[in-house]
Amino acid sequence: MKKIKIAFKPWMGFVLFGIALALIPLLAEYTTFVKSSTIITIGGTVIFAIAALGLNILLGYSGLISLGTAGFMGLAAYLSAYMTVDLGLPFEVSLIVAVLVPTLIGVLVGLISLKIEGMYLAIATLAVSEILRKTFEEFEFITNGFSGKSARFPQLLGFIQLDRASTYYLIVVVLVIAMLLTYNMMNGQVGRAFNAMRGSESAASAMGVYSLKYRLIAFALATILASLAGVMYVHFIRFAYPSTWNLKLSLDFLAMIVIGGLRSIYGTVLGAFIVFAIPDLFLKQIPFFNQLSYVLNGVLIIEVIMFYPSGLINIGFDIKRLWLKLRKGIHDAGK
Amino acid sequence: MSIFIQIFLRSLETGSVYALAALGIILVFRTSNITNFSQGALGMFNTFVVVSIFNNFGVPLWVAIIGGLISALLIGMMIDLVIIRHTKKVSPVAKQIITLGLIMILVRLAPIFFGVDPLNLPRLIPEGNLTLVGANISYNGLFNILFGLMVMGGLFYILQYTKVGLAIRTTASNEYTARLMGVPTKTVTLGAWAVGSMLGVISGVMIAPTTTVTLNLMDVVQINAFVAAVLGGFQTFYGPVVGAYIIGVVSNLLLFYVSPVWGGQILYVLILLFLTVRPYGLFGKKVVKKV
Repeated sequence: MKKIKIAFKPWMGFVLFGIALALIPLLAEYTTFVKSSTIITIGGTVIFAIAALGLNILLGYSGLISLGTAGFMGLAAYLSAYMTVDLGLPFEVSLIVAVLVPTLIGVLVGLISLKIEGMYLAIATLAVSEILRKTFEEFEFITNGFSGKSARFPQLLGFIQLDRASTYYLIVVVLVIAMLLTYNMMNGQVGRAFNAMRGSESAASAMGVYSLKYRLIAFALATILASLAGVMYVHFIRFAYPSTWNLKLSLDFLAMIVIGGLRSIYGTVLGAFIVFAIPDLFLKQIPFFNQLSYVLNGVLIIEVIMFYPSGLINIGFDIKRLWLKLRKGIHDAGK
Repeated sequence: MSIFIQIFLRSLETGSVYALAALGIILVFRTSNITNFSQGALGMFNTFVVVSIFNNFGVPLWVAIIGGLISALLIGMMIDLVIIRHTKKVSPVAKQIITLGLIMILVRLAPIFFGVDPLNLPRLIPEGNLTLVGANISYNGLFNILFGLMVMGGLFYILQYTKVGLAIRTTASNEYTARLMGVPTKTVTLGAWAVGSMLGVISGVMIAPTTTVTLNLMDVVQINAFVAAVLGGFQTFYGPVVGAYIIGVVSNLLLFYVSPVWGGQILYVLILLFLTVRPYGLFGKKVVKKV
């Protein structure tokens, strides 16, 4: 008899992961275990995971660093809010424009990155982000200044008005597409070029990798994902303040990918949950530590880095190794 | 002309605040290879300590400041002893995330200890103005400029002409070799964190009277100190200090003469353009990499 075997393709994993994420609001409706405020927390986390995925392409694969993610995300958020609310443009049009404009600036930063590297590049991108943040404060015509800009849930194709739950599904779909594209690109020609560049720029150039082109691609991809996250953020949370898009948020993105694991797609999402969702979902439930939840999260982040410098996603291997060791021990004792 | 001198003197005051913070960052960076994003948070937390000692115990301000310096010293040493010392295998990027964790802890602990209301810190020298060629500067401002220069002069003297300074410079140049030569690199790193943290509280106390003491007290200082470090170059101890004074002066001149709204952004754009010409800052040299 012939066994029917279905080859497990990586894309199936991403889709299954997306379905599992999408089931959370349903759980919230039918059980008392998951509260409805949880959806906002998890939705926000998924949005941040999208932006962090972009940073993972940049830092993990191509080895370039950026502390400007928050600025680009904010720019996209304000543009989309302005175009849908003030100009009354359709969601799709504003999405495209809100992704294109930051991407152009991101490519410009990519040009700068040819000259500057390492810590200098990190601070240079931080300066770009600060320029954007100050502009959000002053350019009240679009951003509404310190009082914050409000937006609505997205309206697809002009007649499908989404509510909170369906916007959440949209976000999950965007995350799954982003994961798929990242996986495919990073295992294709672009990914190989990035890997070569990360190892040694000069060696990569000698092998015929045109570093300007791939640096621009890396920055463009990172900015596209950050802008997508920004658009999703403003239409899901429906509010944006200039103070949101500060250095702390950019560092949070960095924390997510380092904690989860560089060059790990699931690790990025795991990192996003640790940085954003853990205080709200778990730590706040502990009665005495209510106030201390974010302090504990800071401690947790430091602990993870001290004990898992290469990313928490590797914890799986360690558990497996420990299990094998234990089983061997039991086996030996049995003899 | 008198307006120009006035602006220049004010800029020196803000410049010395940035310079102290930048010096703290570069000390830690050179000795333990960590980009310390928590410099501002440390300064903020310890400035809160100063304010709460001043408000609750009715002691003179300078006593409260000494209290703040001691708490900064202890916190700085504790960070190194508990965390940084055990992160030898961690990559530089991951080390930055440790300082992010420190920010989260400090920023969330501050409201628990000191309450959520914005507090006020008076000037060290309450009143009095000095008139210089038609320009006014408060005695307090003058004191800040001179005190900042004194602290930095003292530190640079120690760095350049004493045995301790030699130990710091060898650690900065190559930690592994320094350890082989018998330099107690662990103590050097411990000292760098302690001094960096104390420089943070000094800059915090200097900037506090111009605004209120809140959680965001040091945000601007932190970012400008970093940009100053890039402008001056990470490879020398004096580069970031010079960069900080340049940023202080040029930003105030731009804000006054060009545009009060866009001055800050123009300054950053100019610095970015400057970096494309000199990628390693004013005093940095190109690092040659092996292929």
